[in-house]
Amino acid sequence: MHGPLSALLQAGVFLAPKPWDDPRLFGEQIVLGLATGAVYALVALAIVLIYRSTDIINFAQSEMAMFGTFAMWSIWLSGVPFFSNPWALLVLAGLFGLGFGAVVERVVIRPVEGKPLLTIVVVTLGLFLLLNSVATWIWAQGELPKSFPSPLSVLKAVDIGFANIPQHHLLIFGVGVATMVLLGLLFNYTKLGLAMRATAQNPLAARLMGINVGNMLTLGWALSGTLGGISGALIAPVLSLHPAFMLSVLLYAFAAAVLGGLNSVPGAVVGGFIIGVAENLLGTYTPHAILGPEMKLPLALMLLVAILLVRPTGLLGERAVRRV
Amino acid sequence: MEMEVWPFLALSLGVTGLVRLLPWGTERQRIVASLLVLLAFMCWAPFVLDNFRLFQMTRIAVLGLALLGLNILTGYNGQVSLGHGAFVLMGAYTVAVLLDRKEQLNLIDASPWPFWATIIVAGILAAAAGLVIGVPSLRLSGPYLAIATLAVMISFPIIVRKYGAFTGGSQGLGFSRPPQPPFLEDLISREAWMYFLCLLVLVVMVLLGWNLLRGQFGRALQAVRDSEVAAAAMGIDVARVKVLAFVISAFYGGVAGALLGLISGIVNPDTVDIVQSINYLAGIVIGGLASIMGSIIGAAALVFIPSDAAKVVAKLPILSSDVVTRAPGAIQGAVVIVVMLLMPYGVAGVLHRLARLRLDQIAARWREAPALLSRSLQRASWAWDIRLWARHGPGTGHSPREGVVGRGQGNLPTQQPREDPTKGGQ
Repeated sequence: MHGPLSALLQAGVFLAPKPWDDPRLFGEQIVLGLATGAVYALVALAIVLIYRSTDIINFAQSEMAMFGTFAMWSIWLSGVPFFSNPWALLVLAGLFGLGFGAVVERVVIRPVEGKPLLTIVVVTLGLFLLLNSVATWIWAQGELPKSFPSPLSVLKAVDIGFANIPQHHLLIFGVGVATMVLLGLLFNYTKLGLAMRATAQNPLAARLMGINVGNMLTLGWALSGTLGGISGALIAPVLSLHPAFMLSVLLYAFAAAVLGGLNSVPGAVVGGFIIGVAENLLGTYTPHAILGPEMKLPLALMLLVAILLVRPTGLLGERAVRRV
Repeated sequence: MEMEVWPFLALSLGVTGLVRLLPWGTERQRIVASLLVLLAFMCWAPFVLDNFRLFQMTRIAVLGLALLGLNILTGYNGQVSLGHGAFVLMGAYTVAVLLDRKEQLNLIDASPWPFWATIIVAGILAAAAGLVIGVPSLRLSGPYLAIATLAVMISFPIIVRKYGAFTGGSQGLGFSRPPQPPFLEDLISREAWMYFLCLLVLVVMVLLGWNLLRGQFGRALQAVRDSEVAAAAMGIDVARVKVLAFVISAFYGGVAGALLGLISGIVNPDTVDIVQSINYLAGIVIGGLASIMGSIIGAAALVFIPSDAAKVVAKLPILSSDVVTRAPGAIQGAVVIVVMLLMPYGVAGVLHRLARLRLDQIAARWREAPALLSRSLQRASWAWDIRLWARHGPGTGHSPREGVVGRGQGNLPTQQPREDPTKGGQ
């Protein structure tokens, strides 16, 4: 056999590391995947929250989070005594996202409510361009990327039995899961959560029941801004800060949200963890010469498209029945 | 003769507008004549504009082509795509590979192709890619499609970087831009030649597109956009129409990408990035959806906003001139949002409404203007009077002056105004 194919085979192009050669590495990839998966799940939740209540896909989600994280970076540098503590910064990032989301909903989204899909998509894309540029204008001076503080160390690893995991990744996982649990409690055990769910399910009926639907929508955007802010502050020490650092997170989060079904909250969480783990496994255990770590984003997205083709509404999504 | 670009554009568009609006001939003659006048002005452009502005005009022609392609898919057919940039980039890479390499694909030993053939090949390859993406896209709609096409757009440059042996990696591919044909060498410069090439391709593709879109296929596209069920009931093969929309749109994108490669002479993964691809969508929305003219207006907006609007905004006292150099996208984003809020049909929608005006009708209205003005003044004075009357009540000497306002001309109620309801009943 003397074709180009045999030459490729002899050069070892299709060789890939095997998971069973190094079980520790495999374990690390899984746990790291779960940690970044928690961040993807948070952003996916933010997308799903907005999509469920208003049928809007917020393409500016990543840039809102990026903007907030840069603002936190400025606060950290300014050296205000209390807020230069990374823990406080994490909380502040969430609060900033809360306000920012509410303002965006009131100022930009409310005027185009009920307009055609394309109009709203374009408005959120306009917001994307605007925030991206303004952030470049304000913060992209000097060296990029900037480093962002973490409450724990990004470099020091903890041995959890079957893998060495950096402390910060454990923090990401913990905070991410805690946030999701809090959100679940909010939605399932409070009057406010009930009102928000009612608004998402049937705005008209909710209004007739005396719920202030407008406020609920604003609150939905504020909550998703919070999720975005927290996830930005969590992932920034790993990815380091530059104006496009949330873009890949947004894509994985889209993949997660679509994988789980755009209108399913548990789907977003499950999808986030699946995408996080799949991303790491695809990066590590595919032939490095032709695929490998650089190609993990395209691979994950291809996986997403493949799943969409089999199940267009995602794994846990409900089929939308529309009256014509 | 040298001219700044804005006076030049004002002159050419003004003359075109006059030819379009002046009352002569039939509607069809007016449209054709105005377009010919515009084309003549555009052919004159290389001889009056400086090189920077000429390059901008060239980019408008190229972008206009790309936006027209996206408009066929998104504006006419309603499939929101954020991945149009991938087709454009693909066209650019096709040209670069075919013009750059002695050995194409590292396999075939061949001399560089003639440049006109590469444009056609780029279009056809992109159309094939459009088919590959269009068929699975049948199962996706609305936001799912937007996300999937965004995924394509993000993945493409990464793939290009990964397979650097073939595509030149992050460095990209450089090649020499095609020289002007021998018989034009003495007449026009290299830049002007590039401009005319792009203009020619644009005109040909616009004519093709116009022919396609005004006919049965164009109607089918819009019918599918407005209601798939109704379109299917009318006997339209919805799946075929949607896939064809993808293929044709990708063909336009590929040709535009080929020209983009030809005019810059270098192609790398950043030639069309994700922001650029988003800008395409913003461009057709600013220009006008489902409109050929809107695509070209959108292209002009995309080219001129970063270069000129930024300067205008920088003159505002509240902003420092930093914005001009560092954040042209901020202005672009703001323009997109404002246009969406104020002009949902884009600039082309406004122009369409203007074009329906007739100058004689406008003149007739202006002749009425003095009468209209005096009538509204009378109304205002009457309203002023009734304000006092409403405050002080009837019979207090504040009733509207009867002599001033002309009765019986149909401009005033003939009966006395009713009592002010805020006063309550007796």
